[in-house]
Amino acid sequence: MRSPRPFLALTAIGCLSLLAGCGGGGFAGDGQERPSGGGQATVRMLVNITPNLTQAYWDGLVKPFEQANPGIDVKIEAPTGKGVADTLPQQLAAGNAPDVVETLTADETLAKQVLDLTGQPWAKDTPLAEQAKLGGKIYTVGVGVQAQSLVFYNKKAFEKAGIDQPPATLDDFDAVMGKLKAAGWLPLQTGGEFLTGLQLLQLSNPSRAQTLPTWQQDIKAGKVKAGESLLPYLERYRTWIDKGYVDKNALGMKYADAETAFLSGKSAMYVMGSWFTASEAKSKKDFEVGVFPAPVDKGQQYPGPQGATMAAPYMILKSTPQKDAALKLVRWLVTDPAAVKSQLKQDGNFRAGVEREFTPLEKQVQQILDGAPSGVPQGEGYGDATLPKGFNAAWNTEVQGLYVGKSPKEVAEGVDRWLAGRS
Amino acid sequence: MTLTRVAPLVTTTVARQKPRRRDGWVTAIMVGPATVLYTVMLIVPVGLALYLSLTDWDGFSADPAFVGAANYLDLLDDPDLRRAAFVTLLVAAAGTAGLNLLGLGFALLVNGVSRANTFFRIVLFYPHVLSALVVGFLWSAILGTTGAVNNLVTSWGGEVLPFLSDPTWATITMIAVLVWAGFGVNVVLYLAGLQAVPHSLIEAARIDGATRRQVFRNVTLPALGPSVTVNIVLSLVTLLKTYDLVVSLTAGGPAGQTQTVAYLILWNSFHDARLGFGSAQSVLLMLVTGALAFVVTRLRRRGELAVHQ
Amino acid sequence: MLIPLYVLTVNAFKGQQDILTDPFGLGSLTLEPLGRALTNPQFNVVKGYAVTLLFVVAVNLLSVVLAAPAAYVIARSPKRRFRVLMLFFLAGTFIPGQVLVIPVVYVLKTLGLMGTIRGFVLFETVLTLPFSIFLYAGYIATVPAVLDQAAAVDGAGRLRTFWQIVFPLMRPAVATMVILNTFSVWNDFVNPQIILGPGSGLYTVTTGVYAAVSQYATDYTVVFPTLLLAIAPLLVFFVFMQRHIISGLTAGSTKG
Repeated sequence: MRSPRPFLALTAIGCLSLLAGCGGGGFAGDGQERPSGGGQATVRMLVNITPNLTQAYWDGLVKPFEQANPGIDVKIEAPTGKGVADTLPQQLAAGNAPDVVETLTADETLAKQVLDLTGQPWAKDTPLAEQAKLGGKIYTVGVGVQAQSLVFYNKKAFEKAGIDQPPATLDDFDAVMGKLKAAGWLPLQTGGEFLTGLQLLQLSNPSRAQTLPTWQQDIKAGKVKAGESLLPYLERYRTWIDKGYVDKNALGMKYADAETAFLSGKSAMYVMGSWFTASEAKSKKDFEVGVFPAPVDKGQQYPGPQGATMAAPYMILKSTPQKDAALKLVRWLVTDPAAVKSQLKQDGNFRAGVEREFTPLEKQVQQILDGAPSGVPQGEGYGDATLPKGFNAAWNTEVQGLYVGKSPKEVAEGVDRWLAGRS
Repeated sequence: MTLTRVAPLVTTTVARQKPRRRDGWVTAIMVGPATVLYTVMLIVPVGLALYLSLTDWDGFSADPAFVGAANYLDLLDDPDLRRAAFVTLLVAAAGTAGLNLLGLGFALLVNGVSRANTFFRIVLFYPHVLSALVVGFLWSAILGTTGAVNNLVTSWGGEVLPFLSDPTWATITMIAVLVWAGFGVNVVLYLAGLQAVPHSLIEAARIDGATRRQVFRNVTLPALGPSVTVNIVLSLVTLLKTYDLVVSLTAGGPAGQTQTVAYLILWNSFHDARLGFGSAQSVLLMLVTGALAFVVTRLRRRGELAVHQ
Repeated sequence: MLIPLYVLTVNAFKGQQDILTDPFGLGSLTLEPLGRALTNPQFNVVKGYAVTLLFVVAVNLLSVVLAAPAAYVIARSPKRRFRVLMLFFLAGTFIPGQVLVIPVVYVLKTLGLMGTIRGFVLFETVLTLPFSIFLYAGYIATVPAVLDQAAAVDGAGRLRTFWQIVFPLMRPAVATMVILNTFSVWNDFVNPQIILGPGSGLYTVTTGVYAAVSQYATDYTVVFPTLLLAIAPLLVFFVFMQRHIISGLTAGSTKG
């Protein structure tokens, strides 16, 4: 009989050496090996992948940069976790953080991990750079501004329901939904996933920002309770569910489902940020879409402060061995006219002073942005106005509770309990 | 190689004296690598989890602070964990029942050698070949609000069925999918158990005039005892760590009502950057899994002894 | 049992509109979605298969080479310390591997193995060890010790006795473990997701499906073809090998 041992031993050794060889293809020790001066530098960038922002889009976006800088190779990395917010902590814990990260803004925990960009002369002119400062320092630079507190509506539905003017107050909003319902429409498109909580934050922001302008800071200081302060909006939302103004099965709708449902005319209104205009521009439909700023409480200024967030925010990780190349890339991404324009267009965002071809809907959104008295942070917020990491997700889970039989008060308490556990 | 001169294991005393040391070396070579790797990559992490659970580590800061039992105290009044623990136990209990009832039932049905039985075994077993992740995506495309079934229902003018959008429905759906995907394994294991039931016993019972049901209750089932134990413990241990299916089928929703403990652990650890807290939950899950498996084995063993007396 | 498979297969060849209006019918069939899924820049299916196969082969080989001799020593030795060692390994079967991934990340990072193929394969192998050793030891106990002794009398060393005499007899048990390990490595999601991470650029079939599908869960022209590509080869393999796979599992479970 032939001995199987040498065979097995050999395969095992072969296998191990193979692994050793392949291991070099991973990134173990890459940090030390990659030259930071001359030669080829690879910049790893973790980005958000959405139906608008595909891997192919990102690869194409940075191509001109790579061509202009032959020494720099940009490697786009898609999140392996639920999203960038999940994947970056995994990578940090694993000790293999990327060089650049898109989508997140610095909070107190992340700030310790990322590069201070305050000294970069170009950084202070980027959108919202001033507002997103943390402890007086700039960590995050963005491409543009996303307007958050917008209500898109189906003009045909409004016409058929006999509504000639968009509602300015929340009470009017209720009345409009009543009319739409009577006319046979689903008045308001909501959905599951992260959508439920996001929409309520977007909708409530202009009104809340007038009663509590420094909401996030007040919560952190213990002066205000988050859930309690939003209780009126939760109560209102609850009545919408009861009256059938929103679909009671909405939690089963994915984000893309909700968008499709509105764009195919199944529902009359859709609360969403300005990036929705990019989807709207791409869709074919037999009605026109209009937009109005989110309504406010009676007696408040209308339009109120617009929820505004940084579009495509970039940060550079402190641990990067490619500091110069990474800085060069980020600077290019947020200042190069062609790159900025491309990103704004791709995700339906805006930037003062940047002219691009607008669709009629985008033009209206630009006007709303221009006409808003101010831009305010929303939900988890940014800069000094930042709530503990994970607030938006926790808020979302709690708000979904309204659909499954929780009372507004229980939801508010749940939110406050979550916050109490994190401070 | 000189190894060939090593003396036999237990035999003569003559050979025993000298090569003893070398014998030890050989043993070390045979057991060592497995033990070392196992210790470094499984036991050390368990120890680390214990240690991390006593800190407030966020996953990347260089200086996690020691917080004593704080994470464990937080666990006690964490409503998320309470809900997730309830869901997990429910999934484990109902799932184990489903897996084993269907597993044993179908094993009895497709017992015996025939072409049809081979076909049925393939059909029953195939979902196990698919990853839980794929199974979840597939079923959510079938049962989701805009999925295949609901498209059919609404096109017939019916109301949307909330398979995945109502917490109670979603939990039931999840358990059903878990059972669908897994009971083929139990069928196979029970079939193996059935083969071990001595045929002579069944024949003897038949000759004594026992009905089929009596034979099953009094002969087959007791003889299947060890099989039942293995199946129950396996099902329990697997179901207690349900994670992949949650990710792809419900993503923990609606309203976080279908989050399992394993899902919550990874969510807390990475999304909320609370690795210390997540580690405390890991430790808890390990203890519960171990304890349940131990208790079930003990109970079953006692049951088997009672049967044999 | 087969309806989901039918829905999956049929809809992989239809357009979005057809899927929505007539999910169970045949509609007008097209190869276009499948083609797009094959060339998806997010998830290179062919590469995913290659990577996963490499993992499966490497883990299986390593697992056998490590577990079999250890099980032999444990099974053949009457010494107390090896009984304890058996219990030590047995405890591992109750540790939920997925949940351990956080501290494992820490350990692998310290060893410089995080995000590498080596690190991933080693960890996956370790996850297979407890049950393998348990099963092998149980199996070896049924192999008459007289065989070893005869070999020893012939002057064979312990290592050689094991690999030449005992190991060939363990074929059924090894086959069982290979089957089990192949499925568990192939279908694992958390460990490759976190240990390999985005930095390595490596996807297994399972993590690749997640990357390709999770953001597009409502675009059924992405979901169905991708899922089909991910499972079809495995299913074909299973159907052809089912006798060995099922009987392998059966053999393993009765001995263990």
